[in-house]
Amino acid sequence: MVARFLEISNLKALLNLLRQRGPVHGPLRGADGVVRFASLTRGVLPDLSASRTMLPPKKYLLYPRERILTYTDHEGYRVPAEPGLPLILFGVHPCDLAGVNYLDKIFLGDDPDPLYSARRARLILVGSSCIPDRFCSCHASPSPLQALSDLFLHTVDGGFILTSESACGDELLARMQSVLEECTMDVPEDTRRFFGSTDAVPVIAEPEATGPEWQECADHCLGCGACSVCCPTCSCFDVLEFGGLDGCSAERVRQWDNCLFKGHAQVAGGLSFRKDRAERFRYRYWHKYGGFGPLRDVVSCVGCGRCRVACPTGIDLRQLAGQLDKGGK
Amino acid sequence: MNSSIPVSAVISAIRPLAQDVSLYTLQTEPGNLAASSFLAGQFLELSLPGVGEIPVSYCGYPTKDGSIELCIRHIGHVTIPLKTSAAGNVVALRGPFGVGFPMSAYNGQDLVLIAGGLGMAPLRSLLLTLLARRKRYGKITVLYGARDAESLLFLDELLELQRQGAIALSLAVDRTDHGLANVPGCRIVLLPELLDQLAIDPGRTFAAVCGPPVVYPYLVSALQVMALPDDRIHLSLERRMKCGVGRCGHCAVGRYLCCVDGPVFSCAQLAGIEGALG
Repeated sequence: MVARFLEISNLKALLNLLRQRGPVHGPLRGADGVVRFASLTRGVLPDLSASRTMLPPKKYLLYPRERILTYTDHEGYRVPAEPGLPLILFGVHPCDLAGVNYLDKIFLGDDPDPLYSARRARLILVGSSCIPDRFCSCHASPSPLQALSDLFLHTVDGGFILTSESACGDELLARMQSVLEECTMDVPEDTRRFFGSTDAVPVIAEPEATGPEWQECADHCLGCGACSVCCPTCSCFDVLEFGGLDGCSAERVRQWDNCLFKGHAQVAGGLSFRKDRAERFRYRYWHKYGGFGPLRDVVSCVGCGRCRVACPTGIDLRQLAGQLDKGGK
Repeated sequence: MNSSIPVSAVISAIRPLAQDVSLYTLQTEPGNLAASSFLAGQFLELSLPGVGEIPVSYCGYPTKDGSIELCIRHIGHVTIPLKTSAAGNVVALRGPFGVGFPMSAYNGQDLVLIAGGLGMAPLRSLLLTLLARRKRYGKITVLYGARDAESLLFLDELLELQRQGAIALSLAVDRTDHGLANVPGCRIVLLPELLDQLAIDPGRTFAAVCGPPVVYPYLVSALQVMALPDDRIHLSLERRMKCGVGRCGHCAVGRYLCCVDGPVFSCAQLAGIEGALG
């Protein structure tokens, strides 16, 4: 693994060099005080000390609302073209890297989603170390998800140690040679150490389905779905189709859906398989801590803490997972 | 072929089966996998361009000429507009998806097929598959219940198979408004009651069940009373399978996804899962 030192005063120069490779996005605090991944235009520095962005990197891979198919009578259904430009996401925390790893497991593989795979192929990830705050829980239990990136920035006194983690990372390091120095200090303890565990416990203790904890949480849940919107691994989507006014064309759209919404489990005729809020709440819990289908037994909570920050009634799933007694704060 | 992209198919025939239920025959390219290599119990995603896409169970038997039979009830946002379609119109499809009935487990066994209402559609596919190699299997019994006699689908086919001695058939209707006299052997009982007069050997019988969710708990407990083990009871579940490939998250049943782990499950798989049986 190649390691180089970057003096903090050279960060702007490093970003300028990165920009030669493609647009760079990173965490930025807006005038409204909200930290979000946004374009780092020339001269703009990312907010690398922010605990978390409001939305995770999933918004770059699975757009909140997007056209997935076009239809014409002449051509039938077609996948719309995706621009092939690279995008560099700078300052991604280990939990969010693990979140991308989980999305990869869903959308790539033998039969990849065409739009996701095109975007993923052009996404360059530059990870960064972080200091967990009281909402974080990556340290509560080891995760089998891998926090993979092309480059990784370890924050040290006076700057960063950059390590390359892929061929693309090697190429970027070479490109940035002029602003980097030989690394003479030790790489600090890796903040990604909770991820990529081979002895991760697959399923966290599941409280009784009818226990009082469930009812208490369900009673507090407003069903607003904020926890799911901001979750790096929540990727349920709805599919809608719109016919063109010409009568011979159409487009199919997918948009983020939410398992806390009433319509999520509805079938034709109006029957819902998760009628009450407690059932929908438990569904989300099982998805996060138990996993479904091919990802059964893969815990998909990466501990980013966004759901706890976003919940208007302060629901903390760690309480149900029994993590509060195991080192969660 | 990428399973995300629907391929075009032409409606070649529409045969009304009951009020608001029709059998659609679709024509795709000969050799299309969606037509030639599916298992009974699997489903495909049917698109009506400009309207939307829905999961539909296969109703027929695999063909090499690219034709596909689907039994459609005009009840949802896609199937109601589909009602105005005619032979020659273009639709599109993706598939096959999911896990069908475990045919190899049925070799040498007796089969009890229990259908409620539109649940006959996937079970017709299973029945055609069993009949294609009839000698491999023991006794085949079909128990079929519907609202009224007019709603019994494929009745002509079933009565003919009964006449030939290929299957034993029991029919039930909830109501007897009219027409009952024309259906031999049809009783005014609830579907689970058809099991009362059935003798099975629990060690060599499988039950395949498909119906509206409301009947599942009653049928399953009736089969359990007959000492049929849970791993010999197979159910086809209906869920909102929007993508068909385990991504959209709508069709979870406990920790299974109906689109990739189902829609056919054994009762043993579903034990203890909240809401699995409706």
